[in-house]
Amino acid sequence: MDKILRIDMGAANGPKMTVEPVGEYAGLGGRALTSIVVAKEVPPLCHPLGAENKLVFAPGMLSGTAGAMTGRLSVGCKSPLTGTIKESNAGGQAAQVMARLGYAAMILEGNPAGDDLYKIYINKDGVKIEIDNSLKLLDNYPLVERLRQEYGDKVAYITIGSAGERKLLAASIACTDPQLRPTRHCGRGGVGAVMGVKCVKAIILDDAGMKMRPPVDPEKYRDANRKFVEGLRRHPVSGEALPAYGTNVLTNILNEAGGYPTYNFKQGQFSGSANLSGEAQAQLEVKRGGTATHGCHRGCVIQCSGIYNDKDGHYLTKQPEYETVWSHGGHCGIDDLDTVARLDFMDDNIGVDTIDMGVTIGVAMDAGIIPFGDREGAIRLMEEVGKGTPLGRILGCGAEITGKVFGVERVPVVKGQALPAYDPRAVQGIGVTYATSTQGADHTAGYAIATNILKVGGDVDPLKPEGQVELSRNLQIATAAIDSTGMCLFIAFAIMDQPETFQALLDMLNAFYGANMTADDVVELGKKVLSVERDFNKRAGFTAQHDRLPRYFYTEPVAPHNLTFNVKDEELDQVFNW
Amino acid sequence: MQLEIRLFAGLKCNNPQLPSFGKDAFDLDVPTGTTVGELRKLLAINPDIRLLNMVNHHHEADDWVLQDNDRIGIFPPIGGG
Repeated sequence: MDKILRIDMGAANGPKMTVEPVGEYAGLGGRALTSIVVAKEVPPLCHPLGAENKLVFAPGMLSGTAGAMTGRLSVGCKSPLTGTIKESNAGGQAAQVMARLGYAAMILEGNPAGDDLYKIYINKDGVKIEIDNSLKLLDNYPLVERLRQEYGDKVAYITIGSAGERKLLAASIACTDPQLRPTRHCGRGGVGAVMGVKCVKAIILDDAGMKMRPPVDPEKYRDANRKFVEGLRRHPVSGEALPAYGTNVLTNILNEAGGYPTYNFKQGQFSGSANLSGEAQAQLEVKRGGTATHGCHRGCVIQCSGIYNDKDGHYLTKQPEYETVWSHGGHCGIDDLDTVARLDFMDDNIGVDTIDMGVTIGVAMDAGIIPFGDREGAIRLMEEVGKGTPLGRILGCGAEITGKVFGVERVPVVKGQALPAYDPRAVQGIGVTYATSTQGADHTAGYAIATNILKVGGDVDPLKPEGQVELSRNLQIATAAIDSTGMCLFIAFAIMDQPETFQALLDMLNAFYGANMTADDVVELGKKVLSVERDFNKRAGFTAQHDRLPRYFYTEPVAPHNLTFNVKDEELDQVFNW
Repeated sequence: MQLEIRLFAGLKCNNPQLPSFGKDAFDLDVPTGTTVGELRKLLAINPDIRLLNMVNHHHEADDWVLQDNDRIGIFPPIGGG
């Protein structure tokens, strides 16, 4: 990955591309690359939909190699949803293919003057940028079907649905999986709106004629990868639970722990949770001829995804993730998996963040637009988003805006981004991450659930404030580093519990790059990424006052534990003091 | 004393001498003073699996003494995101 592709979408005579050596960004990948580029090249005070914002696509340091789990693509910009720096990543095939084409990054700059829509095709011979207004307002599934007729099946597609074109703040960027379904999304932060304002509808990546990226020491790489895979298979989470049940295995344990946010964060348990569980979902999928075990990118050995068919055995959607089943399920008082699956399909098709969209519908329920538990009503609201009606535009801009428009007090967002599927009053560690992450309320940024609830990598009581700041800090640092490697974050369970598996990951990095990184170097990389992001946010006007949860989490206890969020402000302000 | 027992993510009662054999959601009558660890042995769950025990929504260790009408949820190692 020795080159960077820049495309100035706003150039006077049409998009102008340059390919330059990777230069000062050499050795970086994924989130490290996107955040360092954005922090350096995007004025923090710019309007996120303005021409000064840039959209940076970067595969990870090990993407496009023969290593396992390396398929994550990072997309970075100033977020139109949060106003902070944003890194949003997805699985699918795009990272693997972009890396094999030799691009460390693709950077979209400037905004076109007119409203023509562009598609960008990249193969070993170069880059073609063409206007194609016939694609206007196509949603992701029909869009990919249309593009397949022109570009075929041996490519990877990066697309936006109608939501991105409409610049909705919940708009996502979709990456196709190995079966060419647009189901892996850079979901959070409205990155799809930035792609939309730059009038790029689709990026088609074709690595025909390109090879796997070669390691400096192929034998050591192969050996380290073998040990890494063996470690992933041996760990019960990555080797058994995730392949068997997917992420939705979490529904039952969060409900049992009293941290499952229900009816817009009014209580910590949902009476309908058993109907939504990962166990029930896996059984239903298999019964209907789908599967509960599927990899979102080639090289994945965890296979946490699946295929969800309807009652007649026809494809309905990818296996909904825990966040989706929660946001469209318990958060909204809906206990029907078919309804959740339908809404999941709509999220993927329209191209919106499943967390923000589900939370928004729950806030709309709290506003009385439809009642909690109204399955058909939730689908109707999503249809409004897909049509771009005035109500749809409000909802598609997320929970904070919807809450303001309809006069809702309890809106679960931090820095404008909706809280994911864990109540911070019952899982205090994730509350620290929600409040302090550079990304807004974000669970993957520092997944304290692992240690608070799942007892992976140690044991910190979820109900007490003690130990949460250190836990969140360490996880935020580690995640920033992993996000830069192109590795799926679900390697974290194995590398946190099994030192030899963490060592295997280090050995892979060192064998590939001919380096001598130690664990300390990985920590330094994570710290560097976070520091760069914090600095951008500070220059964008963010202060310690923004690193807080909404007021009601401090004043309203949630059942069954009847706790409020108890980590003190002074402690939150210590997260980034290392 | 009566316990409300829920076994998750593929765990089942493996003791053929119990009426709950093969089930994952059931009530069970156990002697007063039974601990979480003793319950696990009674249910004949594979001793090699590291388990997560939630008693009335709290994580508890194997030596925790159960009370009448407790609800226990038992999980093998699971994860997600």
